[in-house]
Amino acid sequence: MTTDESYLERVGNSRRKRFTKHLLLCLVSIVMLYPLLWLVSSSLKPSGIVFKDLSLWPAEWDFSNYTEGWTALQFPFDLYLVNSVVIVVLSIIGNLLSCSLAAYAFARLNFRGRKLFFALTLGTMMLPGHVLLVPQYIVFAKLGWLNTYFPLIVPNFLATSAFYIFLMVQFIRSLPKELDEAARIDGAGTFRIFWSVILPLCKPAFATTAIFTFISTWNEFFSPLLYLTEQELYTVPLAVRQFIDSEGQSQWGQMFAMSFVSLAPVIGFFIAGQKYLVKGIATTGLK
Amino acid sequence: MTLTSVKDPAVSEAPVSPPKAAKPPQDRSGYLFILPWFIGMAFTIIPFFASLYLAFTDYNLLNVPNWIGLENFAEMFSDDTWWQSVKVTFIYTFVSVPLSLAAALGVAMLLNRGVRGLPVYRAIFYLPSLLGGSVALVLLWRYIFGLNGIVNAFLGFFGIDKISWTSDPDHALTTLIILHIWTFGSPMVIFLAGLKQIPSMYYEAAAIDGANKWQQFRKITLPLLSPIIFFNLIQSLISSFQTFTQGFIFSGGKGGPANSTMFYNLYLYKQGFEQFHMGYASAMAWMLLIIIAAFTGLNFLLAKRWVHYDN
Amino acid sequence: MLRTAGLTGLGLAVAACGRGFGGGGSEAASGKIELNMVWWGDAFRAQKTQAALDLFMKANPGITVNTEYQDSGPYKDKLATRFAAGNPPDLMMMRMDSLREYADRKSLLNLNDHTGIVDTTNLSQAAASLTKVGDAVYGIPSGLNAIGYIVNKTIIDQYGVTIPDGATWTWQDLATFAKEITDKSGKKVYGTLVDPATLANLVVYVSQQGEDLFTADGKFGVSEATLTKWFQMFEDMRKEGGFPPAGFVETIGSSPDQSYIAKGSIASQIIPSNGFLGYNKVSGGNLVLLGIPGEATAKRRGTNIGTPALWSIAAASKHPKEALQLLDFLINDVEANKAMGTTRGVPASTVVADAIKPTLEKDDQVATDYLIGLQKQTLVAVPPYPKGASGIQDELTAVAPEVEHGRLTPAEAAKKVIEAATKALSQ
Repeated sequence: MTTDESYLERVGNSRRKRFTKHLLLCLVSIVMLYPLLWLVSSSLKPSGIVFKDLSLWPAEWDFSNYTEGWTALQFPFDLYLVNSVVIVVLSIIGNLLSCSLAAYAFARLNFRGRKLFFALTLGTMMLPGHVLLVPQYIVFAKLGWLNTYFPLIVPNFLATSAFYIFLMVQFIRSLPKELDEAARIDGAGTFRIFWSVILPLCKPAFATTAIFTFISTWNEFFSPLLYLTEQELYTVPLAVRQFIDSEGQSQWGQMFAMSFVSLAPVIGFFIAGQKYLVKGIATTGLK
Repeated sequence: MTLTSVKDPAVSEAPVSPPKAAKPPQDRSGYLFILPWFIGMAFTIIPFFASLYLAFTDYNLLNVPNWIGLENFAEMFSDDTWWQSVKVTFIYTFVSVPLSLAAALGVAMLLNRGVRGLPVYRAIFYLPSLLGGSVALVLLWRYIFGLNGIVNAFLGFFGIDKISWTSDPDHALTTLIILHIWTFGSPMVIFLAGLKQIPSMYYEAAAIDGANKWQQFRKITLPLLSPIIFFNLIQSLISSFQTFTQGFIFSGGKGGPANSTMFYNLYLYKQGFEQFHMGYASAMAWMLLIIIAAFTGLNFLLAKRWVHYDN
Repeated sequence: MLRTAGLTGLGLAVAACGRGFGGGGSEAASGKIELNMVWWGDAFRAQKTQAALDLFMKANPGITVNTEYQDSGPYKDKLATRFAAGNPPDLMMMRMDSLREYADRKSLLNLNDHTGIVDTTNLSQAAASLTKVGDAVYGIPSGLNAIGYIVNKTIIDQYGVTIPDGATWTWQDLATFAKEITDKSGKKVYGTLVDPATLANLVVYVSQQGEDLFTADGKFGVSEATLTKWFQMFEDMRKEGGFPPAGFVETIGSSPDQSYIAKGSIASQIIPSNGFLGYNKVSGGNLVLLGIPGEATAKRRGTNIGTPALWSIAAASKHPKEALQLLDFLINDVEANKAMGTTRGVPASTVVADAIKPTLEKDDQVATDYLIGLQKQTLVAVPPYPKGASGIQDELTAVAPEVEHGRLTPAEAAKKVIEAATKALSQ
């Protein structure tokens, strides 16, 4: 009797607890989801009433913003999407390769100048980008890289993103040292240790890097604007901005529609990539 | 690699074992691993030091720069708007960084332990960060924080008068801080990844020893997550000292109302690209680098007390 | 997953067939002269401009014009970067307020050194004097405009308020008119909204008081008393009710569809005249265009003909002759201007303006008539803003909300603006 009661009480308690937890999460979810819902709803309203009809549920569903927006610019929107995908994919590969190599060296290898180099890397994160624009532009112009994707991609293959190096350094440093040592005793060389011991355990860091690179490259506006001159090479953010101008008769509806189209790959990539966020030691286990 | 080198790979600089004193053990492989980084440095370092030189000149983007020594730096201290931008940036950083990190860690912990529908929540919480600097977002903010917007409507329930969130100089920065906390998704993702690195057997062992949740958090989560917390702290500090896009979009590049959202980098941009004072802007940039480096350095020193690496 | 994504990416890259990875046709290979021309605007303006350029390329088969455009915000950053890196475009749309930043630093071609190609005989006196810096001319207006005053007649009629005579009304009339609307609508609609922080608005008032915004020797010519009166005037209207209360105007967004007149919460406001079509479209199509208050009774005229932008040529252009040809075409060719319409304002050439008027939409005709009418009157010309003028605009933008929220008195704000202006212009 008493055990039953306390058992029931416990079940009730944990149920209530779970309920509150979900209630809390759902409330926060609404706040977080709101912008997306608003964007979708605005994209389904005719341009003229976007600023007048503030309801989330469009009075009439109008898909013309999508069909017209897709072809409103000089090239159909899929061209801009493909351009962006090419840049993004290559940037991700570049960042994963080059940053993990550098991060492993900074985290685990003992070489002269390590601390100085690492400090330099961090230092490059601290200088505001605006004062680097002109010298960078000159460097890329001298290389003959204007109006190509090279200025947007090549730096990623050369470990210039201090953020991802630092991120991976911290992840690698949080891995138990015994792993390296055990492998070394088994006769593995430095590269083998990096490749078959450290990398597999860094999947969450890799997933994070890939997701962040995707988002930042996908959304990047000013660099592509600066270096690309032909419409045919333009990326999605450059295309979306062409729907509006403070002096013109901006096509708000089409802008919202194409903004949503351009968001979809990012959301998709995050949902696909997020399962790798959780594949750390906890799931792989210590070997 | 010899066995002796295995013993102290963690010792960073000072060579300890006498036979190795002449040559640290991993120079060759170390340099090989950072070879791409070395080449990349060329791309980074040229513009980096070019801007340092320009900080001591009257560079105006169009004419050959003239050396003017420390004049730009002296100018900053008598520039009211510069001081205002420092103030805005400091307030923003020191309020929003702790709050958004706390939110990110809290939600990450909540999501980490077997909540049903975890991937859905995680994706939803990350959404605001995905929207980034989208132009569409500007309009949304206006809708949310407008005089007749949702926030005021919500506060109206509790009998609070309408607040002009975007046009009153007293509230504009608060609004931006709220918006910043709203994008806690990025640090949250990193926390989640870090939490998954903690072997679950530690918690199981602790539970058997009778440790409660709070003790587990203090004794296991905090120390083992500390490298990741440290990363997020440094990263948030650096990026929020350099806040630009948010402020730019919010005020249409003006830093208003009444300079109340004049972030350091926004002012720097205006000086460099609107008024063509690129020499002054470069000096401002290096001053910011010094400020950030000081805070980062301080944190690296303090880190020795609380960040736990597996050495 | 990552690997397949990578492979797909490579596939796409190959499919894109080297697009973006170098190897475009160079100038030498095609034997044609390539001009690079940049402007700001949206895809709509791009289509119209491209139509005009196609006509030019047909008439000049030896020249190819490559264009780039983007919205006005980032446009100026890219332009400055390109100039700084020694890679400026040949022909560009230049903001009026940055003209002297570039011109004073010898970055633009002085058109007076290259006469004979660009025909300037049909420019009105007002249009020609706009771009003069000393004896040099660094561009030609890409279109003319002036500020005008719009009233939403539907709202006015609804509340039974009569519209004053736009040629003779005074600022006091505006205050009375605005208050009447606010009162009769029970504060559902506020009478008027004028941004005190916009230089283009201030300059009209200043000129009416007999002062120049910038003196001939490049100083700030506005007195503290005038600035104080300017701020005080709107604070008085705010107190009486014709002007919306503090905090009403939100800082985000400035296009016609986001305006308060489009939402119907404001009955009248000042606009740039080339925006008439856009504003009328979003405000229900019943707008009336009036002159600026105070013009008939003031010491002298305040309304001036301005231009949102110029066409300028870089001093470093490799093909100045062809760039000048293109400039001449854009200014004087009737067919080209028919194609472009008035997206950049009324054409600077009076002959072209008259010729294209019948082809315009009705609202654009209203604005064009307003401009053609103004050009026949005697107005006070406003010379190009001197270097550093953007610092004055910044200070105005900074103090106006402080006055609005009562943290600065109009007199204190005026003092701050003058201090900042003196400093900005001395640098």
